[in-house]
This record gives sequence, structure tokens and C-alpha cells, in this order.
Amino acid sequence: MEGSAASQYRLLEELGSGSFGVVYKGIEIATGEIVAIKHIDLESTEDDILDIQQEISVLSTCDSPWVTQYKTSFLKGHKLWIVMEYLGGGSGLDLLQSGPLHESHIAIICRELLLGLDYLHREGKIHRDVKAANVLLAETGKVKLADFGVAAQLTNIKSQRNTFVGTPFWMAPEVIEQSGYDFKADIWSLGITAIEFANAEPPNASTHPMKVLFLIPKAPAPRLEGENFSRDFKDFVAACLVKDPDRRPTAKELLQYRFIRYAGRSECLQELVQRRQTFDHNNERNAHPRLYEETLNTISNLKDTDNWVFDTIKAPTMVTQKHTQQLSGHKTTKRRRTSSKNATSEETPEDLLSRLTLEDKQQKSILSTPMTIRKVTTQRRVSRTASSSATKRKASGQKLPLEPSMNFGNSVSAVRQFRRVSDHSLRMLPNLSMIERDENQPPETASKEALLGRRAYNKVIDPAFQEVFAQTGSQIQREALSKIAHAWSGLDQDDPEGEYHLLRAIISKIQHDSKLACLYHISQPSSPQKPKLILAQNNPHLKSHRRRQSSVVPSADDIWAEKQMSLPGQHTPGMEHTKQLTDVLFSKWVDGLRNRWPALG
Amino acid sequence: MAFLFRSKSKSDIVKPAKDLLTRLWQPPVSPRTEEELARLLAQMKLILQGTQETESSPEQVSQLVNLIIQEDFLFSLARSIYLLPFESRKDTQSIFSYVLRHKTPNNPNGDQPALKHVLQSRPEVVLALCRGYQHKESAMPCGVVLREALKHEPVAAIIMYDQSQEDERISRLDEIDFDARQSERGVFWNFFQWIDRGAFEVSTDAFTTFREILTKHKQLVAQFLNINFDMFFEKYNRVLIQSNSYVTKRQSIKLLGEILLDRANYSVMTEYVDRGEHLKLCMNLLKDDRKMVQYEGFHVFKVFVANPHKSAAVQKILVNNRERLLNFLPKFLEDRTDDDQFTDEKSYLIRQIETLPAVSR
Repeated sequence: MEGSAASQYRLLEELGSGSFGVVYKGIEIATGEIVAIKHIDLESTEDDILDIQQEISVLSTCDSPWVTQYKTSFLKGHKLWIVMEYLGGGSGLDLLQSGPLHESHIAIICRELLLGLDYLHREGKIHRDVKAANVLLAETGKVKLADFGVAAQLTNIKSQRNTFVGTPFWMAPEVIEQSGYDFKADIWSLGITAIEFANAEPPNASTHPMKVLFLIPKAPAPRLEGENFSRDFKDFVAACLVKDPDRRPTAKELLQYRFIRYAGRSECLQELVQRRQTFDHNNERNAHPRLYEETLNTISNLKDTDNWVFDTIKAPTMVTQKHTQQLSGHKTTKRRRTSSKNATSEETPEDLLSRLTLEDKQQKSILSTPMTIRKVTTQRRVSRTASSSATKRKASGQKLPLEPSMNFGNSVSAVRQFRRVSDHSLRMLPNLSMIERDENQPPETASKEALLGRRAYNKVIDPAFQEVFAQTGSQIQREALSKIAHAWSGLDQDDPEGEYHLLRAIISKIQHDSKLACLYHISQPSSPQKPKLILAQNNPHLKSHRRRQSSVVPSADDIWAEKQMSLPGQHTPGMEHTKQLTDVLFSKWVDGLRNRWPALG
Repeated sequence: MAFLFRSKSKSDIVKPAKDLLTRLWQPPVSPRTEEELARLLAQMKLILQGTQETESSPEQVSQLVNLIIQEDFLFSLARSIYLLPFESRKDTQSIFSYVLRHKTPNNPNGDQPALKHVLQSRPEVVLALCRGYQHKESAMPCGVVLREALKHEPVAAIIMYDQSQEDERISRLDEIDFDARQSERGVFWNFFQWIDRGAFEVSTDAFTTFREILTKHKQLVAQFLNINFDMFFEKYNRVLIQSNSYVTKRQSIKLLGEILLDRANYSVMTEYVDRGEHLKLCMNLLKDDRKMVQYEGFHVFKVFVANPHKSAAVQKILVNNRERLLNFLPKFLEDRTDDDQFTDEKSYLIRQIETLPAVSR
């Protein structure tokens, strides 16, 4: 069951990362919908899965246009995937990277956030970590509250909380004092967030966060100061930042403030999104997105040579083992995935018996086998210039003038023991990808080509064989197919580098044949320097093509294709008669591209 | 005037809602049924909890709770949660919480009439809430209500000692024979399936409730585990400890450690660590390729080794693997340097194993 859920999504580039894991942009294959997928590596969390459960339970009980929509969550190995709605406009913090916002924009954002908070508070939920970094924008300008990592659900609408959570600069005095607080704490944080949008930093940004914790309860409430801000704006901020929570207005009351009532439509925020995109573009960010990389499970094959000696085999254990064998039985086609996870339990009694006679030999293998091999997702930058260029957010973070303090405030989202890091700040773990990559490279597949070859096999060739195999009826054809599949898996094991070169050759030959070129669609024309090989082979269009050729009912992929109509080379279901024409147009377009980007060929 | 109007509308609320719930079970369900039901449930919730601005009125609440008891509304509601629309499922969760928690006003004994009613004459409500785990939609609201109800021991007893088939009359509390061995029919045994097979949200929520059942009321659980030892641990080891789901596996190993190390479960613990096959299972966990599984496995393994009265079977396995263990343990999770307790326990185990006789074959 697990794993099958993951295969319903195709992951694209990385959106952000932190100590909890990585957020990817992805596509739900069945619907073509773009989603954001958060991967949490549960192996790296000591504490109970309860915390994460809490986050999911708060999110999944929200249904509001002002809160990021939760879709589903499932396990893949020891990674938890949380699927959420995708918001392409970036976070509030991203917007600030191109400078402070204008008051009129802030008014819109505040109104939308108040609507979101009003919803949450009516539901008995407290967000507890409101700040620019946790505000997400859609490309349409819609504003939504995100990251419910420390949110609380009250069973009683009037009850209070004591837990000390949030991010120091944004924390309300009563939260710091731990004297019991309620949803009013979010209102304070909203006021701080408004200042953050206006000044590009929260108050006290230059102070050490731990010191801020002493400052906030003692010092008078921060105020918005400056000639350029209207009185309405200042009043609004002052109302949010009333130190006594009982005298602080509710979200509903704040919606009636002049500053909010005269705010414009949320579409006006599109300007901001565009400003940031231009800004990113000018700074050559986003040019080399990190692509998702499937876990390389091959290494775990090394294991199961080494085991305990259990000489007496009793009936109950035998039953147990048989059972697990059956369970894992249907997974056999995905040979890599089942690997060592079940290795210990999959052994038959016969195996155990035969071990006995081989005892000496085994003892040696104990010594020579590494003790544990963890599965880690590699994140490899694909472009050639990658090693020198960091991801966009990281790069922008380094350029920020107030880098050290901003950095801390945003990355330590948690005060969940200061361990979690908010979704959208990447400033920590600068060399994460490099480290993980080293860990993951099995010694015999050191070269990049080999890794790509492996990846191509795991992600493309093997699934493709399985797919076509499943659609093939006749016994003879199936046999022929399985022969190649087998031979190819041999190649993959012995010479992944050769596998890569073979694939490369095939692809480039296909590309150069004008009639076959229609097999080869490019999904992201804006970034032609991405690795041709993998994107192309991965392309769902190719799969749907294959499917059509093997005269199977068009399925999910077609719906996806439909949604991508803005790209050339598409054909609408029901419009197949125009296919030839679009194919011709498409290959012309590809030719044009090739002239402009010679590197593609 | 307003008061009169309100109190009239309130008595009209429960019965129509109950009728609408029955209609949910006879498809096709018209959208109007759902809408009307949603409206009534929202209204009930509002009466019970008030709003942020206004307190709820105690008389109205009492009156509503009494009506809910009279109409046997909780059972209809519990079994239908998964059929309700999104917002109504949340409302239902609140209604349950408030109604079960409700105390008769001005009563020093703190009598909870709805809870008492369920425990004494309508335990089917508890089972219906458990069966909420059959559906993704109802799992979480049912889980929240169940865990709150599980603070009361009789609720745990109802769940553990149920022997009924779905929709059958179940034994009342005073009919339960706490010394009888259970068959696998009861609702408690379904938790294994819900945890192992359910979608992530269902599985983790069911596990949280399962843990609550097994850890909250110690005497009750100890007695239950003693009597149903074989069936319980056969299932526990096979379905949960060897689950394909990482989360289930890791959480259930941890819970196993907690159960065994609980003083109240002493006799359960001694029986568990007597069995050779349990030790094997546990030693295999030490060799799992995921560190947290190894780590949780260690906390069960240590019980076997530290046990001063090892059974022949356990002793034999340890002796046969003495050299291997002595090779293996020093390197086991050696990067856990900041975990003093773990390091201490590990070196204690190594010393224990060193005192075992070398293989005498």
C-alpha cells in the first residue's frame, strides 16, 4: 500500500528545506494539479510522531480560502509525505527580499490574514507562529496562512494554553510569560508581522533572540514609526500590539479598522509577486533548481549476509515468517524497494538452517560488513554550473543586509525545543546536499554519469518496462519483453555508466529524427539547460503516448496533458484528428529551440 | 420572548436531526438532507459551547443533553459520522465532547449523566466510535472523542472485553467476566488491522487510541494481558512489530517496551521475556537498517538480557550469539554519544553478556 500513494505524484524542483525535511513542488499525475509536498524524514526525529500528527490533525480540519489546503499524507519508507496546495507566489519573507512593502499592499495582506485568523480562532485553533515567513501567496495574489507546525487545537473554546512556542521576535508577552494565553497571541504576532512588512524586519531585529525574550514583556509595546506611514496604519499596528491580551481586539474587531476596511482587492498583490519574480530573475535565481532525486536503495543490498544464529526453529516463528513473505510478495517486481527492510524476516527456516553450517564464513562477514546503511535521499544539483550556485532562496538570504538576526529569527521557527526550522527559510545547512550526496554514493558508482544511469533505471526504464509489461497480453510478447527487462537490469547493476551513455545516445538519435522527435516533448521550455535525458524520459506525455500506441484507454495522464494546454505540442482529448498538425508544429518549435539553444542537441 | 422562542426551537432540534441521520443511511441522500442536518448539528454545537463572545446557558445545555439521552441520539450520531459533511464531522466531535463531559448543575457528586447513560445502558456508542476507524473521514473525530472518554476506566473495559459482532447487542458492564479468555471477535482486536492497514492518518490516530487503552488503566490492562497473553502478543508481534509501515513498527516497539517495563505488568513481562522467539524477533530489530527501529528495539532487548532468571531457551540463544553480540554491541549506535542513559545501559548489557558461558558445543 505504501509507496503506491507516492507514485501518484511526480516531484519537480525543491521549494525550500529545513531541519525537518524538504518541500518540493510536485504534480499529482491523475489530475495534473500542482502541489507542494513536504518530506519529513522520520528517522531524524527523536521525538514522537505525535507532534507531526498534531500538525496534520490541525491542518486537515481546516477548510478555508485563507489557510493552505491540506490534501493528504502518507508514508514512503521512513519519510512522511504531506501533500498541500501549491502557492506559486512565494512567502511573505520572499516578497521582502526585494525590499519593504508599500502600506497599501500591507493592508491587503493584513486583511486576508485577519480573515484566516478569524476562521482559525472560531475553530478553536491557535496558529502560534504568525510571521511573514509563514504567509504564502498564490500567483493570483491570494494570501494564505501556512505552517501549522506548532499550532494548537483547543477542545474547549475558552481554554488557555501555556506551552512556550513561536518565534521570539513575533511572540506575544503573555506567551513568553507563560501565564496562560489564548488566540489573542496570534493578534500580537500579526501586529509584529505588519511592522515586518513595513520595515523588512521585525522590531528588535538586531537584538539576540534570547534577549528579545526578556525584552518583550518588559519593554513598552513596539510602535510603527515614520513619516511615510499613515495614521490608520499606525493605529492598526498599535491596536494589535496592546500588551494586555484582554484589551487587545479580536480578529473580527480588527476587520472593522479603517486601515483594513479601505484595503484594496487581493489581486493587487500580483504586482508584488511579479516584482519578486523580476527581482529573482535579475539576480539569476531559479536558474538551476534542484530536482528531486529518488532514494537510491541499491546500496542496501549489501546487507542481509550478516545475521544472528538461532538454532532452534519453533513453529510460531515459522508461521510469522511465512506471513510476512506473503505480504511482501506482491512487491517483488520492485526489487530494490523491498530489499533489506524485510530481509531479516523474509528468511525461511531453511536459510537459517543452512546458516548453521556456514558459521565460520559468516563470522567473517560480520566483521567486514558496515553496520547500518541508512537510506538518504540525495539532492543533487543537475546543472553543470550547479556547484557554484546555491539555490535561489539561500542566495538571496546571503545577500540580505540584516542577515544574522533575520536568519535566526526565521529559521528557528520552533521553539519546539529550537529544533524545527520553518518551511521557507533555507539559511541553515548550507552544504546539505553535498554531504548527503557523499553519504549516498556507493563506492562502485562514484561518477555522476553512473548515478544518472541508476536514476534513469529506477525512475524511467524499470517503471516503463513494468508498465508496458502490464499492458502486454500475449505470452510470447511478454516473454520477449521480460528478457530485455532482465538484460537491462543486468546492465544497470554492472555498468550504470554505460547505461547512461546508451540512454543518451538513444535520446539524441530520437531527437535528430524529425518524425520520431514528436515522441520527445519538453515540459519546461523556459529552462532548456536542464538535463535533457531525464526530463524527457520522465515526461508523462511520453507515457501517455506509449499507452495510446498500445491501444489502452487513455487515462490520468491525459487529464494532466489537458491542463498543460498552454505548452505547444499538446492535443486535447477528442481533438485527436488535429494531432498530426500539432505534431508538425511541435517539431518546428523544437527545431527553433534547438537553433536558439545549441546546447540542447 | 427571545428566551421562549429559543427554548422551543431547541426541543425541536434533536428528533429531526435523528430522523435525518437515518436518512443518511438510505441513499440516494439529497443535498437538502445534508444541509439541514449540518444546520441542526451546528446549532447544537452552538448551544453547548456558546461563542467567543457569549457564554452558553446552563439550563439550555442541560435540557439539550437530556433530550439527547432520551432520544438515544449519540448512537445514531456515532455510527453516522463518516457519512456527514466536513464541517458537521467537526461539529459532531464537539457535541460529543461537550455532552459526555457535561455535569448535572448544582450536583456536588459531579455526576455526568450522558457518560453514565452510555456506560450503563448504551455501550454500543463506544463501539460505534471505535468503528469510526473503518473510514478515513471519521477516524480523527472519533479518535478525539474516544481518547477523552478513555479517561474513564469502564470505557476501556467495554472496548477490551467486547465480544459482539457489529450491530449486535453487547455485554453491559455488569455482565463482563473479566477472567474469561477473549475470542478475536471483539472490537479491540480490530485495532491491529486499523493500525496496520489504515491510511496514514487513520493508522496513527488508531495507534494513539490503542496506546491509551493499553497504558491508562494499569490494573485492568494487566489482568487482560495475563489472560489473553498468547493471542495478544502473537498478534502484536506479527502485525505491529513486523509491520511494513515504518511508523507502526517504530511506535509499536516503543509501546512494547513501555508495557513490559510497567511495574503493573510485571508478570506479563516475565512471561514475555521467557520466550525464545520473542528474543529472536527483538534481536532482528537490532539489525534493522533504520536507526530508530534499532534504538527502540534495544529498549526491549535490554529486558531480556537484564532478566536475572532467564529461561533455558533465552539463555541458549544468548550463549550461542555471545561472541557476535560482544562484537556487535560496542559498535551499536555508537554515534549516540550524548545519550548517557543509553551508553550506560549498553555497557551494562555488554558486561552481562560477558558473564555468559562461551559456547559449550
